[in-house]
Amino acid sequence: MVWHITKRELYDNLNSLRFALTTVLLLALMLTNAIGHLREHPKRMQKYHDAVSGSMARMASHTEDSLYKLAQEGPGKLYKKPSSLYFCAEGGDPVLPDTIEGGSPFGYSEHLRGVWKLKYPDANISMKRVGPDVTQLDWAFVIGYVLSLIALLFTFDAFSGERERGTLRLMFANSVPRHTVLIGKFLGALISVSIPFTLAVLINLLLISTSNAVHLNTEAWERLGIIFLVALLYTCLFLALGLLVSARAQRSAVSLVILLLIWITVVVFMPSTLAAIASEFSPAMSSEPVWKRRNQIQDELWQKYGKWLWSDVVDKETLTGKSEFFTQDADAEERLNREHLIEKVAQVQHARSITRISPATLLQHLLESFAGTGFERHLQFVENAQRYARQLREFVADTDRSDPESLHIIGVREGMTKKGILPESVPKFEDTLSLSQDFNTRATELLLLTLFVMVLLSGAYLAFVRVEV
Amino acid sequence: MLITLIRRELLDNLMTFRFAAAVLIMLLLVVANTAVLLRDYERRLASYDAAAQKRRQEVLETKTYSAVRLVAYRPPNPLSIFNVGLDKRLGNTLGVNYLYVPTLWDAGKYGSNNAFLNIFASIDIVFIFQGILSLLALVFAYDALAGERERGTLRLVLTHAVRRGHLLFAKYISAMLCLLMPVVMCFLLVLMMLTTSTSVFLSTDDFLRIGGVIFTSFVYLSLFYLIGLLISAATRRTGTALMIAMFVWGFLVLVYPNMILTAIETDPHTGTETSAYNQIKQIWEEFDRERKQFLANDPVPGEDWDFGLWGDGYSFWGGDDDASKLLYYEITGFHFETLKEESEPQVPHAQNYHRFFGLQVTNTADRTWIVRKPALEMIYVQPAKMERMLLKFSPVGLYDAATEAWVGTDLNGLQDFFTAGQRYQQAVVDYFLDNKIFESRQWFVAAKGEVDWNALPQFSFQRSDIGTNAKRALPDVCLLLLINVILFMIIFLIFVKSEV
Repeated sequence: MVWHITKRELYDNLNSLRFALTTVLLLALMLTNAIGHLREHPKRMQKYHDAVSGSMARMASHTEDSLYKLAQEGPGKLYKKPSSLYFCAEGGDPVLPDTIEGGSPFGYSEHLRGVWKLKYPDANISMKRVGPDVTQLDWAFVIGYVLSLIALLFTFDAFSGERERGTLRLMFANSVPRHTVLIGKFLGALISVSIPFTLAVLINLLLISTSNAVHLNTEAWERLGIIFLVALLYTCLFLALGLLVSARAQRSAVSLVILLLIWITVVVFMPSTLAAIASEFSPAMSSEPVWKRRNQIQDELWQKYGKWLWSDVVDKETLTGKSEFFTQDADAEERLNREHLIEKVAQVQHARSITRISPATLLQHLLESFAGTGFERHLQFVENAQRYARQLREFVADTDRSDPESLHIIGVREGMTKKGILPESVPKFEDTLSLSQDFNTRATELLLLTLFVMVLLSGAYLAFVRVEV
Repeated sequence: MLITLIRRELLDNLMTFRFAAAVLIMLLLVVANTAVLLRDYERRLASYDAAAQKRRQEVLETKTYSAVRLVAYRPPNPLSIFNVGLDKRLGNTLGVNYLYVPTLWDAGKYGSNNAFLNIFASIDIVFIFQGILSLLALVFAYDALAGERERGTLRLVLTHAVRRGHLLFAKYISAMLCLLMPVVMCFLLVLMMLTTSTSVFLSTDDFLRIGGVIFTSFVYLSLFYLIGLLISAATRRTGTALMIAMFVWGFLVLVYPNMILTAIETDPHTGTETSAYNQIKQIWEEFDRERKQFLANDPVPGEDWDFGLWGDGYSFWGGDDDASKLLYYEITGFHFETLKEESEPQVPHAQNYHRFFGLQVTNTADRTWIVRKPALEMIYVQPAKMERMLLKFSPVGLYDAATEAWVGTDLNGLQDFFTAGQRYQQAVVDYFLDNKIFESRQWFVAAKGEVDWNALPQFSFQRSDIGTNAKRALPDVCLLLLINVILFMIIFLIFVKSEV
């Protein structure tokens, strides 16, 4: 029986104007998305590869010089690898920094240079671009805004329209349980919305995957599959909402007005309003105290190690003094940088968790994570860079230890091995992503979205059961 | 008769649920966001005051001209609450020196906010209106004619001696009156919040600007109502009219503005960037050669630019080299608190050098500016203008551009500040040259008679007057009005010819 009703709904919808308009609209959007991605992505990748190879070459030249040079200059800039699924969700990536700096040893004087440390550049809005601000046309936009609106347009008259036409009474005259009608309607609408959406997605992916410029590996396809399922779940949410309101409202026009107002509030205004409120009421943050603290630590270290710093004597005590000064100074600065970053991240996390009340934000977060872009991805990049920094330091220490002639004093030329090292043996920075980790971090949001769907569906059921025809 | 018609329509509209719901949502959104935006403005104003105050203090404490750092600060625009435009995005501190003519692209930022919070989209009052007013107008309009036709009341009305034009006009007037009410209420609430806030000072001009924004909102609203009416006149059934209206709304408001810039590439692929950058670099290299030549030929042997001066102070060298904003310069100099006795004979030579240096470096700055100005225009401003124009094919783009121009947060309004900065730079350089500052002893040595910083030209910036704002906004407003008139005419023609 369910299938019967679903089929009826489906045929009804397939012939309708809204179905045709939806198909055209979604196809146009997804095509534009693919074209834009195919145009921009090669440029992004090119830029990334150029930057990485430049950074690698610099590191190789340091390595060839000596282990000391490597220990002093470090890896240089580390770059965030652009996601191949950038077209799914841009996720504020243009605003987030795409590098972490592991280098720039502090020059205390012309002949005295410290060792490298990690620095986290600030997020930046491009102050150079003077064009208007627009949302990036990515899947997150198409699904979050357009698909949800379409879902409402397919369901707003599901019951109220039938009631107006009198066909609802007719249907109940038969021995059909109400929940069957509800499920039938729901499935019918879901399939009718999914058809144009799937079509648009397939064409989009066809364009992207056949092009030589973009390579999608197995993991990317898995991620795309998850994104598609999340999109369907999100659509279900708005279908359920549409059915709920449609069951309660007496006339379809009223039902649509209510739905549109809910939609515009929840999808368009709530994310930015809530974020604005959350960030406005978080305390201002300045880097000035960090600098003060840093100078204070440096002064303390000067006092402790100053006597060795200016000495030209090459004995173990002086060299150890210098080395300890350099490493402690760099450590302290790196720690302060990290603490400052953690504070900032905490603020953003706080604001992000508040905006999660809106399902549109939930979707945005989920899509970002599975597309490998956005804020969480940036945190993963930071983590990767920190792990790599440890790895590189260990490598330097281990290599130095393997040379019995060396004094094993890291950070000063005279205290380290003079043996050459192969550039290939130096560990390389890999900016990796793991799907299972993304899945774990996003589980809460996935469950929250499912919960929303469940609540709305049962709400629709209750409303429909109590409806008087 | 017209009055009767209007009254009937008005009552019809006012009593509806959709009206009440829309008013409520709008008021809620506007009030909540205004409160947040006001707080944000206050915060920005506070950091502006702090930054400007700190800089003034630092300038007064500086003892030589070569060590001074003059900075122009841009205050936040109080009307950015209505349309934030570029006010928050572009730089708001402009370093002013004799080495280059400062532009928008050289500006930095003051303020102590967490930059990561920029990943959240910002919101302003025009953004709220853009979405909700257009939606509201369409919801009011879609059944205005189609609904009456379906219910058969249209036939009934037209059996009376009512002219079709009158009927149409009455519908338009009454619906607009209905729709204007929430808009006016929202603006009144915002104004109330603005005027009660202690940190916002609004001048007469500002009230006129807000008036401009309100007027533009009316025109925008009317435009969408007429689109809805057109759909309603052209379709037979309300269901169809509603569906078309919703898709038109989705396309114009949601899809088009975000799609068009992805679809069309506006970046010009010209070699302007590299060629202009190389040219600028060449000019500087030429200057450097001349400088070295001067140092080689002067009575002091060698090419040292510090002339073996010795004392309590420091020397500095540096520069900037950024191909993306076509900025290239080099600077060398020194600053002494006190000078050792034995260095005194060298001072006239250093002064002589600085006379030459000052003249040449300001000359070089002027010459690079001739190359840099059109190139920057080409690289950044042209594509931005192109993007703006593309967006204006949707009423949303027109509305946004017009309100931005009214409140002065558009590119022109922001450029006013940077032009003021450029004028200030010219004034400072002129002051340096006219008063022979470069060759004075105070250029690099702190003298007993301190530098008179008050004699230096002061930076001041006034937002452009309302006339300029109006001039910038009116083309878009007029275009909106024109579309209104054309739509009305089309609707009239369709309605007159249609059979009931």
